[in-house]
Amino acid sequence: MATASDIFLEHADVVVAGSGAAGMRAAIAAHDAGANVVLLAKGPRRANHTRMSGGRYNVVSGLNPADGNDAFFRDTIDSGVGINNHELTRILVDEALARAYDLEEYGLAWDRTEADKYYMSMTGGGTYVRTLGSIDEGIGITEVMLHQMHKRGIRICDFHMLTDVIRDGGGCVAGGLVIDLSKGVWRFFSAPTVIIATGGTSQLYETSSGPTINTGDGIAIALRAGAELVDVEFMQFIPISFVYPQGARGYTLTEPAHYGPRHFDPNAEAAQLLNVKGERFVLKHDPLRKEGSTRDVLARAIMLEILEGRGTPEGGVYMVPDPAVFDAFLRERPIYVKRLLENYGEPQARLQAPIQVMPSALYTLGGVRIDRWCRTCVPGLLAAGEAAGGVHGANRLGGSSMPDIQVFGRRAGMAAADDAKAARAPGDAGLEQARARVAELTAPMQRADGVRPTEVKRRVQKLMWDHVGLVRTANRLEESLRAFTDLRENVMPRLKVTNKSRVLNREWMESLELANLLDLAQVMAATSIERKETRGAFYRTDFPETDPDWTANLWVRRESGRVLVEKHAVAGSATPATAEAARVAAAS
Amino acid sequence: MSTVASITVTAEIQRFDPSQDAEPRFESFEVSGLANMSVLDVVRSIYENQAGDLAFQFACRVGRCGTCAVRVNGRPVLACQERCKAQMRIEPLKPFPALRDLVVDRTEIESRLASFELAPLRNNAHPGQPELIAPDLAAKLCHMDSCLLCMVCVSACPAVEERPFDGPAFMLKLRHMAEHPADRRDRLDQALQGGMLECFNCDVCTQVCPADLSPAQAIRDFRRELFFGRGKEA
Repeated sequence: MATASDIFLEHADVVVAGSGAAGMRAAIAAHDAGANVVLLAKGPRRANHTRMSGGRYNVVSGLNPADGNDAFFRDTIDSGVGINNHELTRILVDEALARAYDLEEYGLAWDRTEADKYYMSMTGGGTYVRTLGSIDEGIGITEVMLHQMHKRGIRICDFHMLTDVIRDGGGCVAGGLVIDLSKGVWRFFSAPTVIIATGGTSQLYETSSGPTINTGDGIAIALRAGAELVDVEFMQFIPISFVYPQGARGYTLTEPAHYGPRHFDPNAEAAQLLNVKGERFVLKHDPLRKEGSTRDVLARAIMLEILEGRGTPEGGVYMVPDPAVFDAFLRERPIYVKRLLENYGEPQARLQAPIQVMPSALYTLGGVRIDRWCRTCVPGLLAAGEAAGGVHGANRLGGSSMPDIQVFGRRAGMAAADDAKAARAPGDAGLEQARARVAELTAPMQRADGVRPTEVKRRVQKLMWDHVGLVRTANRLEESLRAFTDLRENVMPRLKVTNKSRVLNREWMESLELANLLDLAQVMAATSIERKETRGAFYRTDFPETDPDWTANLWVRRESGRVLVEKHAVAGSATPATAEAARVAAAS
Repeated sequence: MSTVASITVTAEIQRFDPSQDAEPRFESFEVSGLANMSVLDVVRSIYENQAGDLAFQFACRVGRCGTCAVRVNGRPVLACQERCKAQMRIEPLKPFPALRDLVVDRTEIESRLASFELAPLRNNAHPGQPELIAPDLAAKLCHMDSCLLCMVCVSACPAVEERPFDGPAFMLKLRHMAEHPADRRDRLDQALQGGMLECFNCDVCTQVCPADLSPAQAIRDFRRELFFGRGKEA
């Protein structure tokens, strides 16, 4: 039987953390470039966020003559309210089509209207019909990619959670410390490169759409390892999600039920949203685009109605769908029709009666700061997908995360394979550091008394939802930041795990996740205090206007345990670069 | 909804920790809540309020990841999609080895999937423009590709229990490739190797599928191809 300090040493050229599409695409690209790759999945490999997506994919395919790459670029920057990393956005636009064909090569069948013409529709925020669809294809995308992993014989480790990236004396990546949760044993994957593809951190919020594994592990790990984060104050909330049943509260219920005829026609209107008084409240916020507005505007409008007491007793508002789009809804989203039927009733499932909806945390817009090849400022550390920041700016277009994870997953894999070739094999450098870290991470297992991680997680989720969510203000943000600091200093050292078995110990895993969640809660509150304006998904009641001076990004890094927040000009835009060190936020 | 009645559920859960126990045992819990709670809601409540040491698996809670499958009163289901009952005996999915409590080891499942080489075997590289696929066929491929690989059908299949048969989900995955116009591998032969002829044609797999797919139809399509041949479109 292994003891707490035993660590199994393994070797790889490229370690990929995350089994969603970004991670798999990275693994495929790195393998094809000659690298020895291992892919880590925190749970079973199919427990990932890509799987939950409808798989809608924004791309200029040439099938809509009115559309073009510049229009897609413009839409993305407009939706991101100008703070996207323009270089990354351009890459997304330019490479999306080739990656859509890659998926088809892998065996995915994009939905079609003719043998050589893809089915296309609109999504949130876009101005042209450009979104490819397939039928609930988040699942299909992950399956065809898994088959490509198998074809190449790439090793996939289920139940392997990355807990830290270890650096050598020169600051370069020496490998990843990993816990094999299925056995409760530690492994150190000695490797010159690690790719963070662990997805976002929607689990910071009480109501969220994503899977429970999205606890921001990779983003927090990168921050601890010396990488910078960008735009972490921006969290995307989907306006239209299920209110009940309780177990599925927050799960996305969106286009085409919400878009109605606008699903196919940019000039048509979306489904009306009404508060309990029957008022069409969105008109106050966006009289021009109305319910066809972007996700940020709609989510905020709904939340304000709820907060101001005009929501339903269950905490939602009413969406009045258009039964005329039922056939398209059934075709594209059969599972949603089934869920509505089971939990709301037949008239709602047929889009013939108002449906209660609410906003929900969907997508982490910020993340690890990367360059065009997904490299961070730490040599050997790369990031891609939802874990990385910058591509979408202050708000993401619906349908843009699918091309993002393909385009940047591939780039990360290619760059990591190159970097691994150029680097010296780290051998067992870092093993001693890893061993020291194991002792810290095992501490909750040793305590007989204390607080269960589930209780602390609930407190963090409530604070984030109430004060660092859709509606933010200075005093509440500062109050939350103090609460997070208190939890880190006074509660985390008292975390305990009920059972001491090392096999699939969920509480132990949750204690590791909780440390990551708290690290991110802290930087999200700190950056939110700093950004004194309203932009995209970010709304401050005390600064309700968008301030041109804030067409800028906040970078975060940690130095000797202290969190540093800096304001920087937007990368790749026409604005001249003037990096301005802003403030040193709370020490941890 | 406020109109939903409440219920008190008695759940007997199979407990087994290979590092500590010689044999599985059952532990009984009571959970009160809304009558429309799912089995997963009950299990989560037990973990959060009564048994912090319970091992169980889920991720999406909305029927998409396919990782929460268990047996409830002997019947395989996705825990997140199955409504709770007043009396439930909850066990890990059969016939797979349990890692601990309700979580099964999928190692063998994944290596079997890999052995079927489900990536399309192409004669020619992808054309770099939309591949020619008839819209109806594309829709069919999309549907077949929404199989969750949750193993609910494999667990429910009486032929898997009695005969050398890999199981319905694997046949569906093979059929998906057999229908794919670009694939050149002999999928019928693979299905035969996987024991396709052992299927009783009972259709249980179709009835239990949480994704509303029909592995039984995939098997019938393979059988038709075996007996009557099939011209594959170029």
